[in-house]
Amino acid sequence: MRPPLQRYRNILDFALSSLLRRKGRNLALISVYTLVVFVIASLVFFVQALKHEAHELLVQAPDMVVQRMVAGRHDPVPLAQVEAIRSIRGVDEVQPRLWGYYYDPVFGGNLTVLATEDAALAPDAIWIGEGVARSMRVKEGDLIPLRGYDGQSTLFSIQKVLPETSELVSSDLVLMAPKDVRALFHFPEGLATDLAIQAGNPRELPTIAAKIVELYPDSRPILKSEILRTYEAVFDWRGGLMVVVLGSAVLSFIIFAWDKATGLSAEERKEIGVLKSLGWESADVLLLKFWEGTVISVTAFLTGVLLAYAHVFFFSASLFEHALKGWSVLFPHFRLSPALDGYQLTVLFFLTVLPYTAATLVPSWRAATVDPDAAMRS
Amino acid sequence: MSRMPLLLSFLLATGLGATPPKPAASPKATVPKGNCAVCGMYVANFPDWAAVVTFRDGGQAWFDGPKDLFTYLLDLKRYAPKRAAGDIASIQVKDYYALKATDARKASFVLGSDIMGPMGKELVPFGTEAGARDFLKDHHGKKVLGFAEINLGTLKDLE
Repeated sequence: MRPPLQRYRNILDFALSSLLRRKGRNLALISVYTLVVFVIASLVFFVQALKHEAHELLVQAPDMVVQRMVAGRHDPVPLAQVEAIRSIRGVDEVQPRLWGYYYDPVFGGNLTVLATEDAALAPDAIWIGEGVARSMRVKEGDLIPLRGYDGQSTLFSIQKVLPETSELVSSDLVLMAPKDVRALFHFPEGLATDLAIQAGNPRELPTIAAKIVELYPDSRPILKSEILRTYEAVFDWRGGLMVVVLGSAVLSFIIFAWDKATGLSAEERKEIGVLKSLGWESADVLLLKFWEGTVISVTAFLTGVLLAYAHVFFFSASLFEHALKGWSVLFPHFRLSPALDGYQLTVLFFLTVLPYTAATLVPSWRAATVDPDAAMRS
Repeated sequence: MSRMPLLLSFLLATGLGATPPKPAASPKATVPKGNCAVCGMYVANFPDWAAVVTFRDGGQAWFDGPKDLFTYLLDLKRYAPKRAAGDIASIQVKDYYALKATDARKASFVLGSDIMGPMGKELVPFGTEAGARDFLKDHHGKKVLGFAEINLGTLKDLE
């Protein structure tokens, strides 16, 4: 082995053994450090995965949704508009949608009731989302009563529980035949909740939207790109709010690390003095301190990131699920699909590892340049 | 094997068996590939604008927009010295509204609209003339042109 490499090895060896000598102090440092990395990394992973999920779901969403506004409020759309909108150049398909919210007083949750023309749906039967089945404690083949607008209950048999994929949105979903939706909510014939529009060329959507508003000034077209942006902003805003809260945690960590790492104890200063009188150079001492800092911060970083990964993707971010996933009663039980971003990891690394390493180096350099005699005396 | 005589008689009856079949009568690739034969840009990045010329021998030339397609067709000697206009089996452009391939020789093109293609100003293609007229109104176009009306002077306007 070449001498310089041997020197590094020896110094690393010495660094490790000196870390072990102050086991208690360093373990405390690593665990606090790990905790901070864990919380920040969890947040980053979680928000990233949520955005990814929302993107995946919205891929299937219609290009544009047209609502009607009455006095600034969302109102049913007359079906007569369907043909007029379909004849606009560039519109591929217009699908009137019939849906609404059903409040279930028994378990205090809102269900999204959506009409479907699916031929596989049996008469008087419904399909329900996984979350509905879970909270109502029902399974396929069971009968559930839904209270109509007039207080009369109607029995529906559950034909199918929708699979867990895409749970975030379909968890509280109830699919039923259009006539059942109309009967349940006393929804007038000839009206739909909104219109879903598909365009041949997405570039034409703004033109189509402008034409729809010209045709029906009381309508409000919402583009998919706008929905996507809103979702992003919502997740970002929520993530942002968490970041503000975490900012204080990071700050207190910085104070802690500064205190632990900068304040060289008299004992350490003496140790540096001994090393220097034994023939160590300032560069060697700095290298030693650098290795000590690196071992601590890299260990804490890797442990924290691994724990955060397990927390978010194996335990569905159970620690801050309630703060971030909305206020619905029916929490979806879903596994986030791992979406890792090298960029975010790098930023996290530089935000946590670099400042700590730098914080340890400066005081060591100051101690290492002092005369060994003075260092040992102090 | 028993189907072979049936197939043969069908081919003979329809007269297809008599002349050699034309392999390139329909374009073989519908997915854009390679580089634009005029400007060299990667065609797959602009599938909404892709145009393609298919030759009788099955060879193809892809373009990242109708403008480059016409630049090629109007100066075949420069871009494809070994080919002649007679070798061309089909020319296809993408209808702007449906984003589906349509026969360029029957298509209508709108000049001077506010919609830009990958190479800037474009001759926006439409399968129907009615579509082109509607587009002209919506996007402040100047003229609706047929395939045969487009010449080097038209292309000058697009620069």
